[in-house]
Amino acid sequence: MSSDRNPSRRRVLATGAALGAVGFAGCLSDSRARFSGMIGRLRTTDDDQPSSHGAINQDPDGPHPLLADDSLHLAYDEDHLASSALSGGPGVDGIPSIDDPDFTSVDNADLAGDDPVFGVVRDGEAKAYPQSVLVWHEIVNDTLAGDPVAVTYCPLTGTAQGFERGETEFGVSGQLVNSNLLMYDRGTGTRWPQVVATGVDGPLTGRSLAEFRVTWTTWEQWATAYPDTQVLTTNTGYQRRYGDDPYGEYAPASGYYANERTMFEPLAESDEEHPKAVVIGARTTDAAIAFNKERLLDERVLTGEAGGEEFVAVAEPTLETGYLYRTDGATVEAVGNGRYRVDGEEAPAESLGLDSVLAFDAMFFAWYGFYPETTYVN
Amino acid sequence: MSTETSARRLTVRPLRRVVIAVRGVVSTRDGLAVFLGTTVGYFLLYSVAVGDLARSVTPGEVGLSVVNDPLSRLFESTGPFQYEAVAFIELGVVDYLFAPLTAAVGLGLAVLVGLNLAVAYGAWRRPAACRLPARGGADSTAGVLAGVPALLSGTVCCGPAILLVVGVQATAGILAVFQWLLPVAVVLLVGSLVLVSRRVQL
Repeated sequence: MSSDRNPSRRRVLATGAALGAVGFAGCLSDSRARFSGMIGRLRTTDDDQPSSHGAINQDPDGPHPLLADDSLHLAYDEDHLASSALSGGPGVDGIPSIDDPDFTSVDNADLAGDDPVFGVVRDGEAKAYPQSVLVWHEIVNDTLAGDPVAVTYCPLTGTAQGFERGETEFGVSGQLVNSNLLMYDRGTGTRWPQVVATGVDGPLTGRSLAEFRVTWTTWEQWATAYPDTQVLTTNTGYQRRYGDDPYGEYAPASGYYANERTMFEPLAESDEEHPKAVVIGARTTDAAIAFNKERLLDERVLTGEAGGEEFVAVAEPTLETGYLYRTDGATVEAVGNGRYRVDGEEAPAESLGLDSVLAFDAMFFAWYGFYPETTYVN
Repeated sequence: MSTETSARRLTVRPLRRVVIAVRGVVSTRDGLAVFLGTTVGYFLLYSVAVGDLARSVTPGEVGLSVVNDPLSRLFESTGPFQYEAVAFIELGVVDYLFAPLTAAVGLGLAVLVGLNLAVAYGAWRRPAACRLPARGGADSTAGVLAGVPALLSGTVCCGPAILLVVGVQATAGILAVFQWLLPVAVVLLVGSLVLVSRRVQL
C-alpha cells in the first residue's frame, strides 16, 4: 500500500525538536529554529498560508478519495469549520493511521464479548475493527471486498464512519473541529472533518466524501451475527497500550465517555440532552436529523421530519443498532424479532425496501455542535 | 568594561560555577545519593506523565515486543517532544513503552532536576559565605517546582492529558501555552541551577 508521507522531513523536524528539548542552556539559542519547526506543526487557527497546513502538502492533481455526487448539508460554511480547527498536541500523523492492517479469525481474536467493535460488510465479506485498537489510531486504510476503504473512529465524538478512499489514503491531521477528528487525504491534502465528511480546506473544499455504513456494536454480537468475520489485530506496526483506553471505558461507560465534560468547546451547545448520550444521526443534502439511540432500541420505531422530508428509524436488536429511511408516505410498524411491516410487507430492519439514508452513532454534543438546527427525536 | 568581558561575566563564570558546584556536590556520597534518587524519581514521574509508564494492561504478564523497523519509527513524533515507542516491555505490574527520544527528553529533564536538588542540598550543607545564608529548603523547592511544567506537557491521543484529568476545556490559548511548557521547564531549571550554584561553598 502506498504512502505519501515524507519521512526525511519528519525525521529532521523530530530530531531537531528532541535535541532542542535536551539541549541545555548553551544549546537553547542554537535550537531555536528547530523549536520553530516544531511549533509550526502545532499551529492552531491562524495559518494564512493557503498552500499547506503544517506538514500537509496540498496537490489539486493528486489522487483523491471517491466523492459523493451531491454535497452534504452543512450548518456552517467551510471557512468557519476550517478556522475552528484546534491542535490537540499531536502533529500531522502524530496519531498514526493503520496502513497495513492485519486480521485474524473469530477463534483467534483476543477480545471480551462486550468490547465495542465497528463492523462492516461488503459482498459477503465481514470485518470488525475493535474500538480498543482504533482509539490509538483513529483511521484504518484497508481494502474491503477488493475496494480501497478507510474505516475511521473519533473517540472524543464517539463516531465510527467509513469512506471510499479511492487511490489515496487518509491520515490524522492532529487537529480537531468541534472535538471531532480532522482527517486529511494524502493525495490532495484536503482536510475533512469526519462527521460532516465534507472538505473544509484544500482542493476539494465543499465536496463530500462517498461514505458507507459502519455498525457500532459489541464483539459478541458481531461475532454471533458474522461467525466468519475477520477482526483487526494489534499487529499494527506500532507499540501502544492496547486494551487501556486513555479516555475511559465503554463496558460499563465511565470517564470521558460517561461524564458531562467535553475536552474542547463545542461549536454550539444545548442542554436538551446529556452531552454524551448516543444519537443515531443522518444528514442529507438539505438537513440533519438524529434519534436518541436508547429510545430507538426501546421503542423500535421512531419518526421525524427534516428538510421537508419524513424519516423513519428502526431498531435492529441483534446488533443493537438502528437504520434510517425516507418514509415516502409509507407506514412502518414493528412486528417482532427485528422485523417490520412496511405497507403490509414484512422486512428486516436492514432492508425495509424504502430509500435508505446512511446513519451512524454520535455523541449528542458533537451532533448538535455540527448541526444546531438538527431535528432531534427522543 | 569591554563587551567581551561582560559576556564572559554573564555566561562563562556562572557556568564554571555550576560545573564546580556540581562536581563538588556529587563527589560526596550523600550529594550523589540525592542526585541519583531525584533523577530516577523524576524520570519515572515524567514517564508516567507522558503515558509511557503505567499500570499493566495484562497484570502478571512479562514480555518484550519490538517494532519491525525501530530505527525509522523512533524519530516519528506523537506530540510536543514526544516520540514513537519502539518496544513494549511488560513487567508484571507495570508496562513500559520505550520511546528512545521521549526517554532522552525525560532523562535530560530528570538530570536537571537532580542537579538542582543535589546542589541545593550542597548549599544547605556548605553555604557559600556568611553573606549568603543557608536556604537549602527554598532552593530545592524552586528546583523541583521548575520541573513541574514539563510534567504537565504530556498528551493523550487528542489533547493535553492534564486537561482530561482536571476537566478543563481546551481553548486555543491554553493549547498554545501547552506547547511551551517543556521549553519553559528547561529554562527554569537551568536558571534555578545557576542561582543555587552561587550558594555553594567552592
